[in-house]
Amino acid sequence: MAEFGGTGRPGHGSGTVAHAPKPFDPWPAAIFVMLLCLAVLFLAPTLGVLLSSVKTTREIAFGELWSIPARIYLGNFAEVISNPAVHRYFLNTFLVTVPATTLSIAFGVLAGYVFAKLPFRGGNLLFLAIVSGMFFPPQVILIPLFRLFNGLGLIDTLWPIIFIHTAMGIPICTLLMRNFFATVPGALREAAILEGANEWQVLTRIALPLSLPALAVLATLQFTWIWNDFLWPLIFTQSDEKRTIMLGIVNLKGQYSVAWGVQGALSLIASVPTLIVFLFFQRYFIKGMTMGAVKG
Amino acid sequence: MAGVRLERVAKSFGSVRVIDGLDLSVENGELLVLVGPSGCGKSTVLRMISGLEDVTEGRIVIGEQDVTHVAPSKRQVAMVFQSYALFPHMTVAENIGFGLTLARTPRDEIGQRVEDVARVLQIEALLDRKPRQLSGGQRQRVAIGRSIIRNPKVFLFDEPLSNLDAALRIRMRLEIARLHQRLGATMIYVTHDQTEAMTLADRIAVINAGSIEQLGTPMELYERPANMFVAGFIGAPSMNFVPAAPDFSGAEPVAVCGDARIRLGAASTPADLATLGIRPEHLSPSRVEDGDFRARVEIVEELGAESLVYLQTGLMEDALTMRVIAGTDLNPGNSFGVRIDRNCLHQFDSGGKVIRGPSRH
Repeated sequence: MAEFGGTGRPGHGSGTVAHAPKPFDPWPAAIFVMLLCLAVLFLAPTLGVLLSSVKTTREIAFGELWSIPARIYLGNFAEVISNPAVHRYFLNTFLVTVPATTLSIAFGVLAGYVFAKLPFRGGNLLFLAIVSGMFFPPQVILIPLFRLFNGLGLIDTLWPIIFIHTAMGIPICTLLMRNFFATVPGALREAAILEGANEWQVLTRIALPLSLPALAVLATLQFTWIWNDFLWPLIFTQSDEKRTIMLGIVNLKGQYSVAWGVQGALSLIASVPTLIVFLFFQRYFIKGMTMGAVKG
Repeated sequence: MAGVRLERVAKSFGSVRVIDGLDLSVENGELLVLVGPSGCGKSTVLRMISGLEDVTEGRIVIGEQDVTHVAPSKRQVAMVFQSYALFPHMTVAENIGFGLTLARTPRDEIGQRVEDVARVLQIEALLDRKPRQLSGGQRQRVAIGRSIIRNPKVFLFDEPLSNLDAALRIRMRLEIARLHQRLGATMIYVTHDQTEAMTLADRIAVINAGSIEQLGTPMELYERPANMFVAGFIGAPSMNFVPAAPDFSGAEPVAVCGDARIRLGAASTPADLATLGIRPEHLSPSRVEDGDFRARVEIVEELGAESLVYLQTGLMEDALTMRVIAGTDLNPGNSFGVRIDRNCLHQFDSGGKVIRGPSRH
């Protein structure tokens, strides 16, 4: 105590308990380094794409993929933006993503509401059956679906992609919305019903406005998945007029060499819509929307 | 406004029968309180009247209309929930006017009526706030506002004050009583709090295990309970129940309670007496030789104007509760005699039914 009392720091003299210095705990530092490594690994491809998109083909051909370019070359972006094929890829992707996102969420909302608020005999079993749809690998249903849509004459149209993404989105949308609706107090529904609301009005005026966080998460997830999908457009479209943006990136390779710079630029431009969707919806990713509904 | 009639109403959840052939009539403009312990079925009765719960058997009539199979929104009832059930994404004004909005009432009229209701409930300044910005009492007012704006035939209250603190509960209780006076509306009020029931009710129905034990005015239930359940439930602190057996061997019949022999008078000692019921205010301290039995003070609870004294006696193992005015000099360990006001005794048979009530109150 005498040693510590003599430090001259006011308020830390005799009478206060002197703490021994904390032993060095290596774990936080180790975890930090590990996370840093993971972050670098995760961001490296994006960085590679970004670097290659601002270099000339000649620079890339010399193998300077990871070097910082001497000057920023925007010719790749100009080439991509002025390419009419890219416009078509974008349009096609929107024509698939917007309806499939909207429809899968709409069906998920309806099914989720019923499973959460209107229990019926066998409901749990049906819910499990729907949710188990998430666990089918696409490869299992690929050939039957191809034969089905071929039979319907829908190959090389956008319809199969819309149908499949809608159908494959329903399980996750139902699961998420059912779980979210379950947290909306039952008394709110009952109060609304006594005020004269029917189930549709309870859903649209009470349950949905309270579920904006869940809807925002779903909209972002679904939009990103469908926008970035490569497999289904590859299977069901054949002509360049029906290709979506992810196939478009592949299509942009040159005849004899890969146009890394142009592909990098298109990859970045292609990710802009998903980024915008995320930024738009992230403000709804808030908790506590039901605060103040019940109790004090 | 309209009366409400329940005729042989029963409710089963699967194989469990929670309400068993209930008959109940609520007069037009009456405030009836359904009171009973948790799980007795009182809220189920209220929910069946509202239509939120289906009726398994029997019928429900509001006014002259059989509403047993009528949708909740068509019954013209309004309900105030224990949890308030305010819509958190709407302002107070939108919450109050929600029913009118659904009914496509013109916006001007909704605004006017919301303001009128807000004035009655003194929440005009809160109309633009969201429920999360309100205190418990304010939320309860908004919930009441939402119920009165549509001028329903019947108001249903499902334990509306149980989430409030004690002081606020008393204030809101008074406000509900005032509201009832002002509106003269038929109200059915569910609570497990007998004080709330006593202070608010025109009549009280005491419910136990899905059936009505007794229906009457608060004072009827307090002074002339039909059975030990009602006697024990109504009144705070509870009535003292002393096991007793009649003894006719002597010159004068007595009730033998533990080691005490209490004279009840020949005419008032039934042969099937099993329990004596004594309200705490009907016991008083006396000299040992004047008392009906001896007692020793275990604990004294000072309540301000009065004190509750818990007594160890030879009558039974549990302590007896005695209510005395404040300032009575009794301390733990004191021994003295205790006198029973014989005119106020309740006598129950072995089934718990009253066999002789008090001769005066």
